[in-house]
Amino acid sequence: MADMAVQSDVMEAAGPYDRAKALSAFKLGDATFYWVTRISAISVLVILGGIILSLIVGAWPAMREYGFAFLWTQRWAPSADPPILGAVGPVYGTLVTSAIAMLIAIPVGIGIAVFLTELCPQWLRRPIGIAVELLAGIPSIIYGMWGFFVLGPFLANTFQPFMIRIFENVPVLNAVFAGPPSYLSLFNASLILAIMVLPFITAISVDVFKTVPPVLKEAAYGMGCTTWEVVRNVVIPYTRVGVIGGVMLALGRALGETMAVTFIIGNSFRISSSIFAPGTTISAAIASEFAESDGLHQSGLILLGLLLFVLTFFVLAGARLMLLRLEKKAGK
Amino acid sequence: MTELSVSTTVASHVPQVPLPEAAPKVTARNLNFYYGEHHALKNINLTLGTNRVTAFIGPSGCGKSTLLRIFNRMYDLYPGQRAVGQLMLDQTNILDAKLDLNLLRARVGMVFQKPTPFPMTIYENIAFGIRLYEKISKSEMDDRVEKALRGGALWNEVKDKLNASGLSLSGGQQQRLCIARTVAVRPEVILFDEPCSALDPISTAKVEELIQELSEDYTIAIVTHNMQQAARVSDKTAFMYLGELIEFDDTNKIFTSPSDRRTQDYITGRFG
Repeated sequence: MADMAVQSDVMEAAGPYDRAKALSAFKLGDATFYWVTRISAISVLVILGGIILSLIVGAWPAMREYGFAFLWTQRWAPSADPPILGAVGPVYGTLVTSAIAMLIAIPVGIGIAVFLTELCPQWLRRPIGIAVELLAGIPSIIYGMWGFFVLGPFLANTFQPFMIRIFENVPVLNAVFAGPPSYLSLFNASLILAIMVLPFITAISVDVFKTVPPVLKEAAYGMGCTTWEVVRNVVIPYTRVGVIGGVMLALGRALGETMAVTFIIGNSFRISSSIFAPGTTISAAIASEFAESDGLHQSGLILLGLLLFVLTFFVLAGARLMLLRLEKKAGK
Repeated sequence: MTELSVSTTVASHVPQVPLPEAAPKVTARNLNFYYGEHHALKNINLTLGTNRVTAFIGPSGCGKSTLLRIFNRMYDLYPGQRAVGQLMLDQTNILDAKLDLNLLRARVGMVFQKPTPFPMTIYENIAFGIRLYEKISKSEMDDRVEKALRGGALWNEVKDKLNASGLSLSGGQQQRLCIARTVAVRPEVILFDEPCSALDPISTAKVEELIQELSEDYTIAIVTHNMQQAARVSDKTAFMYLGELIEFDDTNKIFTSPSDRRTQDYITGRFG
């Protein structure tokens, strides 16, 4: 009936009464559409709430047992009786690997984006663009294997000795690079994370850089700016929000990445000053121990998961705050 | 020079005394321009006199803006565009492949059709350009910014909100900010590419007034679709059609007794 009424000739022949009927059919569709979209949106809240709730329920025994001491206990001895569990090691590892990864990935990722949009000759644009996209498509376990078999040996045998030699007599830095060579290390995991999140930063930066009006760039070039000055003072400020969005997405992935990191980080709960020492992250600790855990140990791992949730939330909230302050500085 | 008159045109009541020759600032000899295969400008010969305002008029697509974009080598940003011939800024060959483009653009500033404030504060919009070429103290910078904003006839409107975003200004104010920004780096030539086409009449009047003031210190080239504007602000007018320079003469002469039929048809509104 509704289908028939939409056809204009039928409508004209039938007069205004049928037109109203046709419209009421649309109204029903509209209402359905409204509720379908609304329920979809609400389901996100429900699922999120459910996950948080089940995390809290699962983590409750550990929370009751350790309280806030969980946050500053470094020892992780699940087989002790009773088990002694502390989150400092995994939290430290998560923060350090993500920080180093972002430190590497942000400049390189934005650099690639700048090259692709501002400097790259046309014929090279597509190959590089596709390569970056493919980088995003590689499964994380393959990154893990590559890090284990290729990057790890290189870092341990070549890169670390080199860094140790250079920074031998520099106070703080010699401790950062010290230690026996190990294939499995925080730095190895950081590098792999950097490569994994690079495509996010690049792809989003390229997209937002393309939104800068050509005339704005011309205006800057017209004042005698070099490409670097145009990028630094016009392109990046103009696209700030988008670029930071890409960085946040990348950071979210770095904080939570599990498989590749579990492979190459060494799963050591001890904190070392050296970035070449093995460590662990929250997700790596959960992945490697969850299958064999029970009781308080399992509850402790769930509590770690809850902690990662909270950590990610605060990092993202912090980024939002930073964005607001940047906007204020730019004069809004 | 007989006083032939097309009496209905804009500036006909102004007595016709030929302008004294000004020292040449920019000189084009047999200048050609290509967009890939497309021959966009054909054998352009003309001279922009020092401290003169030269207007470029003609129907859309006739090459006015293209010509303007050669003066500061803006076309260089895009592959496939090239200029052939000779174009001199004083003793400098603008088309020289080895020319320092940043320096050239410091000498030849440009104001665009749409206001293009940079995404920063009003103060920074001005200071940014100055900082590219000079290292000066904060107080000197404050002076220069104020001077530039006064030069752009904007100071009184923005002096209390220098830290507001350049984007928060109205369209006309933004355009004057762009002019102030261009003036701040002390160029020798300023190119205006239809600077008022996005502005309301009052803002347009302000910008026009500003252009006339600026002509005391700068050599100015302005592309415009508005013939009254060309008549009001310019000393010399160039009429272009299909990539060729049809007529180039004193503005009074062009608007009262053009020597080419096509110029006359265009300014009397018969085509274009």
